Amino acid sequence: MHKNLLKDFLVLLSLGGILLVTGYFISKKIWNADVDLNIKISFEQENKLGEVFNEMILNQYSVIENNAVDSALHIISNRLTRGLDSTPYRYQFVILKSKEINAFTVPGGNIYVFSGLVDFTDSPEELAAVLAHEIGHAEKRHVVSKLVKELSIAAILGSLSGGDPSLIARLLKEIIGNSFDREQETEADKFGLTLLEKAKIAPKNLARFFEKLNSKDLDYNENLEILMTHPHNNKRIENARRYKVGNDFQALPFDINWEKVKMSIR
Amino acid sequence: MEEYYSLPQPEEISEREKEDAMGAYLMMFAAVAIGLPLPIINLIASFIYFYINRKKSKFIHFHSLQSLLSQIPTTIINWGLVVWSVTIFFKDDWKLTPEFWGYAIFAGSATLLYFVYGLIAAYKARQGKMYYFLFFGKIAYEAAFKVDTNSQKIVSEVNKPPF
Repeated sequence: MHKNLLKDFLVLLSLGGILLVTGYFISKKIWNADVDLNIKISFEQENKLGEVFNEMILNQYSVIENNAVDSALHIISNRLTRGLDSTPYRYQFVILKSKEINAFTVPGGNIYVFSGLVDFTDSPEELAAVLAHEIGHAEKRHVVSKLVKELSIAAILGSLSGGDPSLIARLLKEIIGNSFDREQETEADKFGLTLLEKAKIAPKNLARFFEKLNSKDLDYNENLEILMTHPHNNKRIENARRYKVGNDFQALPFDINWEKVKMSIR
Repeated sequence: MEEYYSLPQPEEISEREKEDAMGAYLMMFAAVAIGLPLPIINLIASFIYFYINRKKSKFIHFHSLQSLLSQIPTTIINWGLVVWSVTIFFKDDWKLTPEFWGYAIFAGSATLLYFVYGLIAAYKARQGKMYYFLFFGKIAYEAAFKVDTNSQKIVSEVNKPPF
């Protein structure tokens, strides 16, 4: 009797184990569908896609270029990209003339910031925090994965060969207007916070920027990407606030006259 | 040498007994539906059912105990899922990992599998047949049908013939 029971128990345990392992592998398989992006859309294709978007963006918005802005962006982007260990992208940061408080990333590593956002920041460190978050979206390939969810790979790749302009416009609207899912936002935050630390910029600047967005009664479109999953972002503010820097961390302030930069974009 | 009471055959079991035995499994489904967010209600309900019905007959004793015992693993597994979900909700801002989904698939399929076996057992019980689950079937059989020689001794010592 006892031997039989033990045998039964072992069989039951093995069945449970098989079920658990199977469940894990199924989930891993589904989870890795995103990783398959690397196979479906190469970085070269992503870069080309970025060029198509860039062309359309430049047709829609005017770019702000002046010595103050260019020099500030150069300093900030240099510091951030030096913090990246390795990257398949050549990041370009562009300021677009618009009162919207927003920033977005297109495939290929081009990051666009609206002048309204620059005006909203109190320091170059705050802008760097937003850019670090956007770099997080690019590095984690959130933009491409969002596009793939919206459209078939064939349609996206079709737009590379100068396909349907209305389709590209729709994709662009998707990129600028809609937020990523909460998990991707959290992932981009995490990446951004680590990058800020590596770039010797206090990660608290990201929390400060979020708090400002939350506290001010702004007349904005709630779907703007940079506003994330507002108003559920308290947890994200808390995460950014609680981010622990290493003991040897010492913030290196930017030597930029921020008021002058802000004046130059108005 | 262990002794067991002989098993009742379907024609020897009353309709009422068959229904009560089947009820042990069916009631579990209703209790699971009610207690879905907190997978403990089913276990409590099954325990009450077993406690009330265990003395009605050995056939009912077996089925209600088998139903009760066999719910323990799935209840524990589903509790694990509830605890994990709550932890994710409060601590990780709904960061759902592949490990969590793997466990959710495991818990879901284990519960589904258990439901299927529960339905089969309910059907068999309604027909007045025994149906043994792996491991739990043997324990329930032992508990319901094993002759308790110790209690028999006490009984024989208490009631003695007059001469």
